Amino acid sequence: MSNPIKAGLAIGIAGGIVIAFFGGLSGILVALIGGAAVGLILSSWEHFEKRDVAVRQSATAGAVAGILMVAGQFIYQFVIVPLSGKTAVSVDAVTFIVALLTFALAVALAVFIGYTSTLEQGRRRVALFGLLALFLVLYPFLDGGMSVLYKTNPSANPFVDQPFINQGLNLNWLGTMITILTFAVLALGLNIVVGYAGLLDLGYAAFFAIGAYTTGLIYSPYISSQVGADWPWLRFVWTFWLVIWIAAAVAAVFGLILGSPTIPLRGDYLAIVTLGFGEIVPIVFRNLTAITLTLPFTNICIVGCGGKPLNFTGGESGVNPIGRPWLPGVAYFQTGDYLPWYFLILAIIALTVFLINRLYQSRLGRAWTALREDELAAAAMGINTTNTKLMAFAMGATFSGFAGAFYGSYIGAIFPSVFDFTVSVIILVMVIFGGLGNMVGVIIGGMIIMMADRLLLPQIAGTLKAIVNTTIVPNIQNPATKEFVSTTVDPLQWRQLLFGLTLVVMMLVRPEGLIPSARRRAELRSEAPAGTEPLSIQEADAGSPLMSVDSDPLDAPSQ
Amino acid sequence: MATAAVKPRSRQQPISWARIILAVVVLYAILLFGPIAGLDIPRIARDIAANPSLLVQQLIVGITNGAIIAIVALGYTLVYGIIELINFANADVFMLGGFMALSIIGNMGVTANSSAGLKIAGLVLAFVGAGLLGAVLNWTIERFAYKPLRNAPRLAPLISAIGVSFMLQNIGLIWGGLRPFFPIMGLNAASPKSMPEVLPRIPLLPASSGIEFGTKDLIVVVTALVLWVALRLFIQYTTLGKAMRATAQNRDASKIVGIHVDRVIAVTFLIGGALAGAAGCLVGFYNNTIVFTMGFTFGLRSFTAAVLGGIGNVTGAALGGVLIGVVAAFSDQYLSSRWTNAWIFTILIIILIFRPLGLLGEAAGEKA
Repeated sequence: MSNPIKAGLAIGIAGGIVIAFFGGLSGILVALIGGAAVGLILSSWEHFEKRDVAVRQSATAGAVAGILMVAGQFIYQFVIVPLSGKTAVSVDAVTFIVALLTFALAVALAVFIGYTSTLEQGRRRVALFGLLALFLVLYPFLDGGMSVLYKTNPSANPFVDQPFINQGLNLNWLGTMITILTFAVLALGLNIVVGYAGLLDLGYAAFFAIGAYTTGLIYSPYISSQVGADWPWLRFVWTFWLVIWIAAAVAAVFGLILGSPTIPLRGDYLAIVTLGFGEIVPIVFRNLTAITLTLPFTNICIVGCGGKPLNFTGGESGVNPIGRPWLPGVAYFQTGDYLPWYFLILAIIALTVFLINRLYQSRLGRAWTALREDELAAAAMGINTTNTKLMAFAMGATFSGFAGAFYGSYIGAIFPSVFDFTVSVIILVMVIFGGLGNMVGVIIGGMIIMMADRLLLPQIAGTLKAIVNTTIVPNIQNPATKEFVSTTVDPLQWRQLLFGLTLVVMMLVRPEGLIPSARRRAELRSEAPAGTEPLSIQEADAGSPLMSVDSDPLDAPSQ
Repeated sequence: MATAAVKPRSRQQPISWARIILAVVVLYAILLFGPIAGLDIPRIARDIAANPSLLVQQLIVGITNGAIIAIVALGYTLVYGIIELINFANADVFMLGGFMALSIIGNMGVTANSSAGLKIAGLVLAFVGAGLLGAVLNWTIERFAYKPLRNAPRLAPLISAIGVSFMLQNIGLIWGGLRPFFPIMGLNAASPKSMPEVLPRIPLLPASSGIEFGTKDLIVVVTALVLWVALRLFIQYTTLGKAMRATAQNRDASKIVGIHVDRVIAVTFLIGGALAGAAGCLVGFYNNTIVFTMGFTFGLRSFTAAVLGGIGNVTGAALGGVLIGVVAAFSDQYLSSRWTNAWIFTILIIILIFRPLGLLGEAAGEKA
């Protein structure tokens, strides 16, 4: 099978399944993303030189994917809808327009990406980043039409009469997209620790929690009400724009504190200790509910005196409410009006990408790379390994502080259960799936994982449940099987298994991730030449000839 | 790494005042902030003085739970000793062992009021079934999730292990919801399952002593002891055990002298899994409750135990297990059960930082 057909089939089947479950106008969005993916995959396989070949092959691949996506749409209408007992939608002109549009967009995006692959590297980067930025900026209008602008004041909406302009694709994914992008910021931060510095951190959610709780404690009337006194420095009108930096700074300080004991550790012991911190931090936040501090050997009480212990973190019910950002004249951050929140998190992502990019190209970034590849050699080159590791933890924590502050403010409340081990693993899955050490990969991989988790899985669960309850269950005679089928066929229950499976399969099949960095790929695909099996585990990961073949100029010693 | 850090300090060195002041400050901080996490030393001293027999009681509870922890820790320590992988999935194999035992007991219809013969048959079957499930499961995991990564960088199998652990935990959740086939699972899939009281509860100490120690505790401790001794003997005297030790010391040299290294590793996983499954069964019968998340808690404790004793060391795992069991029991009683996990993790972190070799550890610590 030729490469264009292969790429088209792979993406087309995935996209077709998504469309078959969502139906409606989702095909247009899936075609946009899928078309781009087809182009990216194909150009990474083929390394196009000639422009006409690139355009022709990408068009073929896009067409294959487009046909499958259109098929997905008809499957939704003729198979899924009747099976799940929904009211049937009649086939009319709109159906065919949508199908045509789906096909056309898939081809167009594939051709565009294929075309850019023949451009020189710098221009291609600008084109791709521009496309991604354009998509992200326009996304709210694609999803919800112009009505997203008038959420706070629907009567001023002049587009009420034109359904498509007013409603867009009518997906209502914007709120979920904000959460997804928050996790993308977290994944970018973890990528510094795991991808750049090579330190496996299994407790990253701890820093997320610290950022969020910092916001909760200084940007909420909660603590004043607990103390029962008006502390002027807490009543001081904080603004979100200051709080988010404080949260990042506090998270960074905790990154240093929690990172410092792990300095002498390597590999799996480091992983275990970070896992320990990731577990302790939520326990601490959960249990700081009745604090009484008395100076030892005396009866002098400092905190929580007079039989009224201080409830510092609110325990299981958390801190509530947390203030919102404030930007008079430009945006009003209100519940249900997602647009300002969406653009705020976009701005945070842009800032994060910019800062991390600068960091990676700085002396510190080069030191991280050196540390990851060979700690001994790095130390011999004069790199202060202690400081470099600490900075990796601190920098990684900083961005989770941003994410934590935003998340706390967006949700309006903070609970300890948001930050358990599962969250750390999900962020790790995002980084590994996207491609360790590659920011574009981490963002895209992270978004795919989160969209699959937050959007696709609930949708599949709902549809499957409907199908099972309307078509399958009534036909089962055996009561035990009947109960088993109706309770167990629920993908949401299998969520953890799917995450675990993703990790295992990625490690077995494509350890370097979806869109790997060139260096990581060389490292993780380090197979010794045939016949010479590595002598031991230590030797296998210490040095392979492939690692030094990397032509990246950053590899030059930094001193 | 760690061994190099320990420098012999010459006797002439003056007493470092900075160190003493630091120690005083740390001590004061512990006295000041300790009570938040239950470490209120004056109160604890008062509690112990008021009721000393409670201390002995908690010691017994701790040792019994510690014996089970030690059995799980053996699985960690064996695997780490041979392929230097923290088998995250070990604890979840243990959890599934508990579910297997519960399913067998439930479907045999054994209850607290059954006849002694039925109870014994149920116990034996549950024990064997849990051990078998653990062995097969662990072997399968090794075959499909770790073996292909034998020569990959070290992080790869570790991440794979985390993935497997996640999958098994989910399987435990699903198993807990299989009420149509195992009625004993109850209505809610995620809630803790209660195990029928099958082990006899005949007190062995007079009631006047105020200490509860019955046949139930004895059976658990003796079973754990038998498993441990059997493992020791196996490793010490059988050919396969010798091959395991050789492989742990130097895999390539073992290959050269004709040891089938892949088979030895598979057997190690088989044994570790069987031990974990059996321990899951024991925990179910001892505590009368199992839950699908218990793998995480017990895994943490038994891994800490393995590290405390010196990872790779079979005696160390047993010692560490008992110590951690006692610490957990004391923390539950005298500190605060809400903080027990945090304290255990703190112990783990302190050991890893100050003595990564563990109490009885040898050269394996160099690899930390």
